[in-house]
Amino acid sequence: MTDLESKLDQIVPEPQFSPRANRGPLMISVKNVSKRYVANKAALQNINVEVAAGEFVFIVGHSGSGKSTFIRMLLREVVPSSGQIIVAGHDLSRLKNSKIPYLRRNIGCVFQDFKLLPNKTAFENVAFALQVIGKSKHVINTQVPEVLRLVGLEGKIHNYPHELSGGEQQRVSVARAFVNRPPLLLCDEPTGNLDPQTSLGIMKLLERINRTGTTTLIATHDQEMVNYMRQRVIALDEGHLVRDQDRGVYGSVD
Amino acid sequence: MSINIGYFISEAAISFKRNWVMTFGGIATIFLSLLLMGSALLINSMVADMTRDIESRINIQIWIHDDATDADIDTLQTELTAHENVATVELVSKEEALARFERMTEGSPEIVEQLAGNPLPRSLEIELVDTQEIDGVLTLIRDSEEFERIGIPGESPDAALSYGGSIVETLLDATNTARFVGALFVGILALVSLIFINNTIRLAIYARRNELSIMRLVGASNGFIRAPFILEGILQAFVGALLAILVLLGVKEFVFPNLQQALAFIDFDFSNALMLQISLTLVGTGVVIGILGAVIAMRRYLKI
Repeated sequence: MTDLESKLDQIVPEPQFSPRANRGPLMISVKNVSKRYVANKAALQNINVEVAAGEFVFIVGHSGSGKSTFIRMLLREVVPSSGQIIVAGHDLSRLKNSKIPYLRRNIGCVFQDFKLLPNKTAFENVAFALQVIGKSKHVINTQVPEVLRLVGLEGKIHNYPHELSGGEQQRVSVARAFVNRPPLLLCDEPTGNLDPQTSLGIMKLLERINRTGTTTLIATHDQEMVNYMRQRVIALDEGHLVRDQDRGVYGSVD
Repeated sequence: MSINIGYFISEAAISFKRNWVMTFGGIATIFLSLLLMGSALLINSMVADMTRDIESRINIQIWIHDDATDADIDTLQTELTAHENVATVELVSKEEALARFERMTEGSPEIVEQLAGNPLPRSLEIELVDTQEIDGVLTLIRDSEEFERIGIPGESPDAALSYGGSIVETLLDATNTARFVGALFVGILALVSLIFINNTIRLAIYARRNELSIMRLVGASNGFIRAPFILEGILQAFVGALLAILVLLGVKEFVFPNLQQALAFIDFDFSNALMLQISLTLVGTGVVIGILGAVIAMRRYLKI
């Protein structure tokens, strides 16, 4: 059993909440942010959100409500039309193109379609993320098996993606996002392709990772999951922030 | 950050294998353009050798008609000898001229036998110090009264005068035209190879788009993402350049010795130093084309 796992298991399963005033330093600060792709229709309009380090946040809304745009803006894949975004201490509007890779090393990403390389095994897929940021063989050989054990894939380290179920593939993708121990984890519809039972497993895994101190942001329209988890919920509708609620549910409560 | 050179090389090699048709096209065009460029450089150096050789042999001959007085010839000879650009002035007698002619037609003595007496004129042979500055001496001759009196009369005042100038001019004209056409061809082929390499790299980028998007997501640095493609461009160009150099060396080994034999009077320089210089030029040009092709492809198709 690794240090990380024992640490995880010592933590009480009940998620903790603290009143907003007591939250720690900011991980994400979004101020007056708007984004227009074409002239008139705004994908996001005047969004203000703050997320403290260590929070677990759902971003909910229908397709086209701006969830994905929001996530991609935090990754600096999309540049806002106006407003200021600060992620993990980087002011994204002033970030030079050449510095974007260093921002992204602080952010883990999980997607609906897993984005695994089909010609690489689970181990190689996770190792790839470390390889391309120049980590040594030694680091790779110790960290990759550890993180794969953490996501519950210790028996399938050398399987190719097509030999794994959807849930297992998503676990590999979570392992890849987390292997570098980023302070922030962004998930865009992580359970979109999975059945409810498997989705629950992935959500629990993400919650475990969150409890190691990793700020976790999940864009989803998986109503059941959001209602079950009872975490902070930010709701977007046609580009507007319509609700920001602790211990929230998917639908409106008031 | 540890730089994983093995990773880059294996990536480039994999792409080399995957797109071998395009790669082959890229290598072939760069090979052709560099071969043409190398040939042009070689021919250029040969022509330079040739002109230098011919220029060094340029002298001026004044043909003297048989009635000219010795006094006039002496005066002109003295005048010319005084000129700073004249090395020697030699009077060739009629007998000497005939003797030279006999030597020239050694193979067929009947030509000389058929001559009635000695029709060959006397001449003044002028060797120059600097053949480039031939004009000063020519002016001196044309302006001299003695030249008018002793020179064989003809349609133009220069009829009694012969020098190698026109040969050199014709040669230089031809060389310049050849050089221009050659440069044009090299330019066009270089452009085509640029397009080919650009296309190969584009395909390589397309084939690896998934990997690239993941590399961007996990924060691989831009240089790290670009390096394999640049390396691939360089690799293609390098192979093309190597082939061109091999062919040129082959030509040098097997064709030039014969050429040198055929044109024995010219001293060509086919030294290893020259070949090395040409080889380095080809590799340098090839690598520049390869890098350029890769950079253009990445600018257009690799959003980082």
